[in-house]
Amino acid sequence: MEKPKIVTRFAGLADSRSLDTYLRHDGYQALHKALAMKPAELIELVKASGLRGRGGAGFPTGLKWSFVPKDAPEKYLLCNNDEGEPGTFKDRYILELSPHMLVEGMIISAYAIGAQKAYIYTRCEFYEEIAWMEQAIHEAYRHGYLGANILGSKFSFDLDHYGGAGAYICGEETGLISSLEGKKGQPKLKPPFPALSGYLNKPTVVNNTETLAVIPWIVQHGPEKYRAIGTEKSPGTKLFCISGPVKRPGVYELPLGYPLQKFIEDDAGGLRDGKTLKAVIPGGASAPVLTADEVAKVTLDYESMANAKTMLGSGAVIVIPEGQSMVELLKVTVDFFHHESCGQCTPCREGTGWLSNVMHGIYQRKAKLKDVEKMIAIANNMEGRTICALSDACAMPTRAIATKFGDEIRSYIQRGNHG
Amino acid sequence: MSSLFSPEIRQKIEHYLQRYETRRSAILPILHCIQDEYGWVKEEHVLALEEHYQLPRVQVEEVLTFYSMYRQQEPKQFRLMLCDNLVCTMMGYKEVDSAIRGHLQEYQHKGKDCPFSLEKVPCLGVCDGAPAMLINKTRHLNLDANNVVAILKNCDTLATGT
Ligand SMILES: Cc1cc2nc3c(=O)[nH]c(=O)nc-3n(C[C@H](O)[C@H](O)[C@H](O)COP(=O)(O)O)c2cc1C
Ligand code: SF4
Ligand code: FES
Repeated sequence: MEKPKIVTRFAGLADSRSLDTYLRHDGYQALHKALAMKPAELIELVKASGLRGRGGAGFPTGLKWSFVPKDAPEKYLLCNNDEGEPGTFKDRYILELSPHMLVEGMIISAYAIGAQKAYIYTRCEFYEEIAWMEQAIHEAYRHGYLGANILGSKFSFDLDHYGGAGAYICGEETGLISSLEGKKGQPKLKPPFPALSGYLNKPTVVNNTETLAVIPWIVQHGPEKYRAIGTEKSPGTKLFCISGPVKRPGVYELPLGYPLQKFIEDDAGGLRDGKTLKAVIPGGASAPVLTADEVAKVTLDYESMANAKTMLGSGAVIVIPEGQSMVELLKVTVDFFHHESCGQCTPCREGTGWLSNVMHGIYQRKAKLKDVEKMIAIANNMEGRTICALSDACAMPTRAIATKFGDEIRSYIQRGNHG
Repeated sequence: MSSLFSPEIRQKIEHYLQRYETRRSAILPILHCIQDEYGWVKEEHVLALEEHYQLPRVQVEEVLTFYSMYRQQEPKQFRLMLCDNLVCTMMGYKEVDSAIRGHLQEYQHKGKDCPFSLEKVPCLGVCDGAPAMLINKTRHLNLDANNVVAILKNCDTLATGT
């Protein structure tokens, strides 16, 4: 299977982050092309490419852009670079490779939706990466890619950086907006969707870093070339982060539709130290786990993952070896979501707290066998009834582990009861 | 004007208050900047922000208490932020945690002032280098019970006043 390089075309280049390197590899050529087009044509182009948001939900990017009212005088573009989903480290890699790719993507996207101002919202723990990004923004201003009348056109646009302060919930798009407004990062009820009323109640597009970073390539090479990669419903390539005890953990760019097992064995080199595969979490901590048997049957795209009742999510493939306790992983999962729940909605606040309590009982072997069913029942009551998707993001993986590894959890409890 | 903040910090605060669409958006960056300079955010800082820059105390405190990176207590010289999330757990976080605790207990035994504080934090976004930890603003990757103690000993030699 061919592996086209779109985002990773800068990998291995000397000085890959510098403007010089970027320009030598066609950097800012797409911007010239975009500015010669009408914004509406650009939106159609991105629609035609079939690009889907890479932040987790996979929403079609061009369609999202088309919801923004054309005539609104003040609009914003926000880059979601919060990267908090456990197992995910791909947006960090984009800044490490080529922050100019993101900057150019944001200028083009802002032109398409008619935004005059944009922010890159980054988790503050990415200290070095933030410095690289600020350097790229600075260079882009100096060379006339940002600021007034970009490249002599009528389009003026400012780009700034904003740092978070340690809160997973600020990765949720409306939580991010609250945070950027200088408030606690609490999500807001939708509708209204940000495209109509977002940052400061103005029309706002929130896109993930990876989504924005592939825009220049799509504009330059055309939507057909992008569509030719991947599957019909999941066109293009995607960055996948693989972690856990594999020989070569890291970030890989793969065409969507790539077999998961092949990724683990061929690209990441398989498990190390003679370990064997027990399970895989395919899309970050929110994604339901796949057993080793299921892993062999799925491909890395939105539809295959949905068929397997899990999700592609952020592309974080977490490899779990035989011998790893699922009780421990379930405890870490529910504790994480409990800790990160912002507390606004009862099912989420109480549900994550209750799960965490029951789970601690199980972990300490002070539980009854039917507590496994209790976990599933609690999870069932947390879904589809809250302001944001964090509650579901906790319920889904909980139910999957408690169901698929219920026997392991029950025998763990029993071992404790028998001393 | 308040003499609590150095001229340099005052300049930065003014800059942030101008930089965004609303003054309120400046609260997060201003608190980062105060913490970088003084190590933590004291109550007197919050009061000064209200008095001299009209940033309402309730708004500043809302931010200060919601986000986990802000400190409201006098810090130790080295803030250890150890990831206890999924991948780090699988890759040996517990051994690293015990090794760190062991090292920290030695200060107690010797009756010495400990220059470290230890916190557990969610995924740091560097799971390809798990187990991972931040010490202040520096990342440490691929930790194990041995190399983490060497890192802490290296901090010890840098520690002032111990
Ligand atoms: C709890 C929660 C956390 C999220 N964290 C992130 C994140 O760290 N980065 C991200 O890009 N999207 C995250 N999302 C998804 C965003 O809400 C949003 O869908 C995304 O930024 C849209 O960009 P895209 O269309 O380009 O994918 C999160 C969603 C939820 C519910
Ligand atoms: S679902 Fe949870 S995290 Fe999301 S808004 Fe409600 S309480 Fe907050
Ligand atoms: S799980 Fe520890 S850095 Fe991601």
